[in-house]
Amino acid sequence: MTEYSPTVFLVDDDEAVRDSLGLLMKSVALDHRSFASAGEFLADYDPDCPGCLVLDIRMPGMSGMELQQKLIEMRAILPIIFITGHGDIPMAVEAMQRGAVDFIPKPFRDHELLDRINGALEDDRINRDTLLEREEVEKRIDKLTPREKEVLELVVQGKANKVIAGDLDVSQRTVEIHRARVMEKMMARSLAQLVRMVMQIQV
Amino acid sequence: MTDSFERPAAENQSLAVPEWKALLDAAVDAIIVIDHKGLIKTFNSAAENMFGFSAEEVFGKNVSLLMPEPYKSKHDGYLRTYLDTGNAKIIGIGREARARRKSGTVFPIVLSVGKVPNKNEPKFVGLIRDITERKRSEEEIHQTRERLAQFGRLSTLGEMAASLAHEINQPLTAISTYTQACQRLIESGRSDDAEILATLKKCHSQAQRAGEVIRRLRHFVKEREIGRREVSCNDIIRDLAALAEVDARDKGIPLTIEVAGGLPNVMVDTVQIQQVILNLIRNGIDAMIDMDDYDKGIAVSVSEFNNDQIKIMVTDHGSGITKDDEKKIFQPFFTTKSSGMGLGLAICQSIIESHGGVLSFTRNPSVGTTFYFTLPIIPEANE
Repeated sequence: MTEYSPTVFLVDDDEAVRDSLGLLMKSVALDHRSFASAGEFLADYDPDCPGCLVLDIRMPGMSGMELQQKLIEMRAILPIIFITGHGDIPMAVEAMQRGAVDFIPKPFRDHELLDRINGALEDDRINRDTLLEREEVEKRIDKLTPREKEVLELVVQGKANKVIAGDLDVSQRTVEIHRARVMEKMMARSLAQLVRMVMQIQV
Repeated sequence: MTDSFERPAAENQSLAVPEWKALLDAAVDAIIVIDHKGLIKTFNSAAENMFGFSAEEVFGKNVSLLMPEPYKSKHDGYLRTYLDTGNAKIIGIGREARARRKSGTVFPIVLSVGKVPNKNEPKFVGLIRDITERKRSEEEIHQTRERLAQFGRLSTLGEMAASLAHEINQPLTAISTYTQACQRLIESGRSDDAEILATLKKCHSQAQRAGEVIRRLRHFVKEREIGRREVSCNDIIRDLAALAEVDARDKGIPLTIEVAGGLPNVMVDTVQIQQVILNLIRNGIDAMIDMDDYDKGIAVSVSEFNNDQIKIMVTDHGSGITKDDEKKIFQPFFTTKSSGMGLGLAICQSIIESHGGVLSFTRNPSVGTTFYFTLPIIPEANE
């Protein structure tokens, strides 16, 4: 799953701006790929590739805002940093409200942009880990028997074995066995860890 | 055309001389007959009125008398060429030319020429129409169109400013990013000279690109110096008032315009000056929009100043200018408006200065600001 290295995707219609951003990425040894238009980027877009998107807000053809909308519809999680010109502030505010990580007015200081990029890459990593973890937890739950799922639910609610035995009308010993199987199948080392896993998928 | 002159000549036998004379003199167009040497034989009353010569004055004189140079000295040559070769330059083809009155003034005409066959010594009939009026109205239509186009430009001044700012910002961003990347490459010890050199060249061409945008901006203001003519202050204000009042009424802010009588004319590009006034009024509106008592409105006044200047003032009752901002308001890209480009006053200032005037402002004693500019009554020679 982790054969991809995080990549900074640069989308700007201005060749010089794009080229200079590429050199800046190179100077700090960040993998990057450049695209002259939103369309070019979409044609090449791979949801499994981690990274972040540095996107010019004002472009001919599909604008940065429109690309953001498209990515939202595609349920993409790639964080977006908008780069904006003078006078694009109202647009940038709207982009932020739609979930962009940040915007940075042109021309910018290199460390301001790089800090935001590093922040976005970190966000993306956490998002992807969480997503993976969530998928994993769902897989583990799928392996539980219906009875074990019932026990899991009650355990997570914080009920004691005796109470659960009463609820399910089985012996306390049977509950203990189910509970041990649940912990094993869920690979939980403690009750706290089990609770956290279940809460994560319920979010 | 030649035919049409030959045919009446055949019918002519039934017409007596007085009838011919009446026909000639009733014509609206000037009709002149010359012989094969170019000497005037007939000169109708319309020709007398048009050229200011009486028929007696011009009889027997060379028709080149009625022409400005270069036709004047070439006409005998044209005539000889035609008689020698039959090669017609004008006969049978009406065309625009210029003619010269007795007073020396030159005016535009449409000239058509027909030939009167007469063995080896043909005569020529010239019909001449004065098109001074037509030319003038063509010119007026052209100017009106030009003015409309400029008004179009006026309403998109904000958009133009936005796109100029964007165009300047792009190369600046590239230069700034290239140089910072180079610094990082050099500091990291991973740089190679060829790459740094190539990047420096790119920086140079981006700096040129930014310069080009600024040259265009200067040109935008400069190019229209040719559009200057003498106008009355009333004319400047009259066209503007309608436009400005719409703006002000939209916002519910009363606008009063006061023009002192008997003001001398100024030599200006009317549309540019209107741009400036409109810009100042719009700034005034923006400054008043959040005030409680904006029914006090905006006043525009025009008066004579120091005997040799016109002073135009735009007084608002708005929020005023802070002490800190006072020094900066004419700087390009300085703005206090959330959606402003910060170019309006900078452009206004270059327009006024290129007219030899001054744009400035004063704080009103009570509330708001008065922007004013001057225009020289006699324009400076060294623009």
